[in-house]
Amino acid sequence: MESVVMGLQVKNISKSYNGNFLYRDFNIEFSEGTITCILGPSGCGKTTLLNIIGKVIPPDSGNLIGFDDKQFSYIFQEPRLLPWKTVRGNIEFVLSRDLSADERKAQVELLIRLVELEGFANYYPSQLSGGMRQRVSIARAFACPSDIILMDEPLSGLDITLRQNMIRWFSQIWRSDRRTVIFVTHDVKEALLLGNQIVVLSQAPARIVAHETINEPAESRSMGEPHFKKLKQKLLNALGQ
Amino acid sequence: MKISFTKKQYISFASVAVMLVVWKILAIYFDSDFIVPPPEDTFLTVVKLFGDRGFILVAGTTILRGIIGFIVSGILGMGVGILAGINPGFNAFINPMLVSIRSTPVIALILLALIWFSPDVVPVFIAMLTMFPFICTNVVDGIRSVDPGLIEMARFYRVGRRRIINEVYIPAIMPFIISGASSAMGIGWRAIIIGEVLSQPQYGIGTRMQSAQTFLNVDAVIAWTLIAILISYGFEKLIRWGERKIVTWKV
Repeated sequence: MESVVMGLQVKNISKSYNGNFLYRDFNIEFSEGTITCILGPSGCGKTTLLNIIGKVIPPDSGNLIGFDDKQFSYIFQEPRLLPWKTVRGNIEFVLSRDLSADERKAQVELLIRLVELEGFANYYPSQLSGGMRQRVSIARAFACPSDIILMDEPLSGLDITLRQNMIRWFSQIWRSDRRTVIFVTHDVKEALLLGNQIVVLSQAPARIVAHETINEPAESRSMGEPHFKKLKQKLLNALGQ
Repeated sequence: MKISFTKKQYISFASVAVMLVVWKILAIYFDSDFIVPPPEDTFLTVVKLFGDRGFILVAGTTILRGIIGFIVSGILGMGVGILAGINPGFNAFINPMLVSIRSTPVIALILLALIWFSPDVVPVFIAMLTMFPFICTNVVDGIRSVDPGLIEMARFYRVGRRRIINEVYIPAIMPFIISGASSAMGIGWRAIIIGEVLSQPQYGIGTRMQSAQTFLNVDAVIAWTLIAILISYGFEKLIRWGERKIVTWKV
């Protein structure tokens, strides 16, 4: 932990809704170039934290340090694709108009290859399966030249096999550019498969009740190994499950 | 799929046949060309009208009025509708106006228009006023139906406001605009012809209907009516064809 440079900090954040505090003087740090998984019971305000970090909603008080000049990509729970745009059009939609049409096209083609949707570039979302749509949304997040990718339970609507495939695709693409990822989930297994840092939040007002680091690369992790089993139990205990 | 389609066509054909049979029975019952002329005579009159030298001018002028009214109300309706859909305050401001226009009897609008405008402009004005609220309301409904998740996504990705309007809102409301255009056109043709009957411009289907009625040419009145129905039907088909071309993404 000590060796990691701490660039991104959420400092003394408070946020309440109707008098109920989701966060009260809450602090968390993120290391750049890693995947941080935030685990927590539902309703503890994980999405709110992402929205505060992404500057979608302002906190009642507190500061964000290091996020000022950062650009964000998002992967939502639902793919949120534009139904009237093709796979290609949806990915291209979020690319800056400062890029030339050719540059945008090259970027889109690269990402379509990375999520293995080559034959489907001209398909509309309604012609794709749920897993393929979520892959498009992953491609869109990586296509955008952002500094930080925020993920809000993007796998929760998918079945187990698809979820595992998605984790494989995600880590495969992630390895190619090692962007900072903040990944919110309530699924311990997802966190163990993807995260470099795993932070467990309590019920609201949220506190950090556990913080674990995994140094093994995602592709060589095996949930059957004893230390993963132990870690899993530790996280489940922290979650109170 | 194909079988049900032919079946549907077959049923539509039967419906037209029933109307013709009823018409024929009424014609035989009344046995007078001044009350209900037989369908075959009327169709002959339609064919004769088509061959008439002035036909293109008469029907063309009516169609032109419809198109002008439609384009003007379409542009106005879309502009006002988009603003009202995005801005609830503006919607609250514009809504009483739309309700007033929609609730005003068409004949009251025509009587006023007759005082204010020349006979050529009256039908266009009437068409515009009857079509505008339809298009406007549909655009507002369309904008309200836009998935807020998509707007949020576009904002998260810092997509500019203009592109959000052009690439998210407008495609999302397209099906609503088309259905609004279809009902607007349906009601618009009727309004134009009423306007022409009452304002008597030099050319126009309504003008011809009125003079045919004066001379008790019942077959000509019905023939012009059939032509008006054909025009309305043709434009409805055109709009649906446009829908298939534009809304390609819907399965």
